[in-house]
Amino acid sequence: MSKQEKEVTVDAGMYVAREKIHPREVKGPFQTLRNLAVIVLLGIYYGLAWVQWEGRQAVLFDLPARQFHIFGLTFWPQDFLYLALLLILAALSLFFFTALAGRLWCGYACPQTVWTEAFLWMERWTEGNRQQRLKLDKSPWNSTKLLRRGSKHVLWVLFALYTGFTFVGYFTPIRELSVGVATFNLGGWETFWLLFYGFATWGNAGFLREQVCIYMCPYARFQSAMFDRNSLIISYDEKRGEPRGGRGRNVDHKAKGLGDCIDCNLCVQACPTGIDIRDGLQYECIACAACIDACNGVMDKMDYPRGLIRYTTENAMEGQPSRILRPRIIIYGILLLVITAGVLYSLTQRTPLAMEVMADRNVLYRDVDFETIENVYTVRILNKDNQAHSYVLTVDGLPNARVITRPERIHVGAGSTDTIIARVQVPRGAATGPGHPIELQLTSQSDPDIQSTNSARFHGPDE
Amino acid sequence: MTKVWCLRCLGSTLWPSFLAAAVASVVFFASIDPETLRMQTLPDWSISRMAGYTIGFFMFWGVGLLSSSLTYLLSGGISDRNE
Repeated sequence: MSKQEKEVTVDAGMYVAREKIHPREVKGPFQTLRNLAVIVLLGIYYGLAWVQWEGRQAVLFDLPARQFHIFGLTFWPQDFLYLALLLILAALSLFFFTALAGRLWCGYACPQTVWTEAFLWMERWTEGNRQQRLKLDKSPWNSTKLLRRGSKHVLWVLFALYTGFTFVGYFTPIRELSVGVATFNLGGWETFWLLFYGFATWGNAGFLREQVCIYMCPYARFQSAMFDRNSLIISYDEKRGEPRGGRGRNVDHKAKGLGDCIDCNLCVQACPTGIDIRDGLQYECIACAACIDACNGVMDKMDYPRGLIRYTTENAMEGQPSRILRPRIIIYGILLLVITAGVLYSLTQRTPLAMEVMADRNVLYRDVDFETIENVYTVRILNKDNQAHSYVLTVDGLPNARVITRPERIHVGAGSTDTIIARVQVPRGAATGPGHPIELQLTSQSDPDIQSTNSARFHGPDE
Repeated sequence: MTKVWCLRCLGSTLWPSFLAAAVASVVFFASIDPETLRMQTLPDWSISRMAGYTIGFFMFWGVGLLSSSLTYLLSGGISDRNE
């Protein structure tokens, strides 16, 4: 116990209590790009749920029915391979773009960044710019503070709830869901997930913000392994900037022995993770380029060339040539291309039919009459197509074998499954002893290209 | 101090276990239907598939949380990290 207490006191010195970061709003090409990314990505997230496709929701992960609809395609649990490949593709693209251009993902596309930006906008609308927000933080509670804080939280909560609603809308048809919300008639699980996701959005984008990137994100910790000396990073040009110091606009700073950095601290104020980029590359940096925009604005005012803080590579900083094409880029690139092409090809070649064959476990074989032996199988048919089909089952592998199903033409509706009993009959003598391999083939009558083959074992008497 | 400590503690246990639970749920339920599982184990207990997924997810999260918490405890908590 005493040891623990000791540790705690040591820790108190190691940590500065976190102060809320109020990033300064900046203008510039990178901020425009970031705003664009927020609008496009959130637009896709909130909009896509409402898109209809052939009479149903275009993107719907129908968990109760165990079917994923993505536009014209329907995925079943049997298509798990595609999900795995998709995840591999996502990981590979992350590697590829990190090696090429650094933490592009963090700065522009990560949901944490995107929703934090959206929440910051709301904070700006209600509480004003950075100075006003800092002042509001310090001011005692009065009616203005209550109004500004209150309206911010109302906006945040409404936005977060709508985010949760949209999230659930990808799993339960969103039109039905909106009716359910409007009539206060929502299922228990839907309500739970709506509130859960809404709460997570509100907490992550409103309060935790950069702490998610710094303390919680695994990618931030291992991304350095994907970097090399030719990866794009955001860096302060120390040679040009130092020694930093304040000066008047018309002063010849070089004569005074000063570098280009006027030490205005705008790059620190603009940083959403609260670091000083002039201290060098840090893992807290999410490469959002806000400091570049802030610094370029100052350089323009001072009539200095832009780019004191800029996108560059370690090699370029040291005056060595940067190479874009290097082994890891080529390998990641080729892997990405090959897997993408493979997935696309197999999607076009996908047969919208699957079948499982299970032998009857109770009886190995049955004598139908003196000339015929019969094995019974349970066949489960999965019609993955968007239209109904009639199928015919045939058998191959033993001479004069035939298969009897009732009905002979098996009708399975669109996106449905059916289980039938198939009786395979073989003349006595054609199959002696257990374990003859046979093949059952299911073919659609309307489209012979839609077929599925399964192997099974046929058991005969020992004689 | 205690607030910061609490946040770190939650951040390094709740969050990794959440990620692991998400992956585990996807892989597990892609191959196993909660409906079949219920039929074979507790046929009298009538719950929906959605409830099955939710219970599964929180079970994975709970197990992950236990493991993360033990790791956190055994590796000395926050005193060795983030200096």
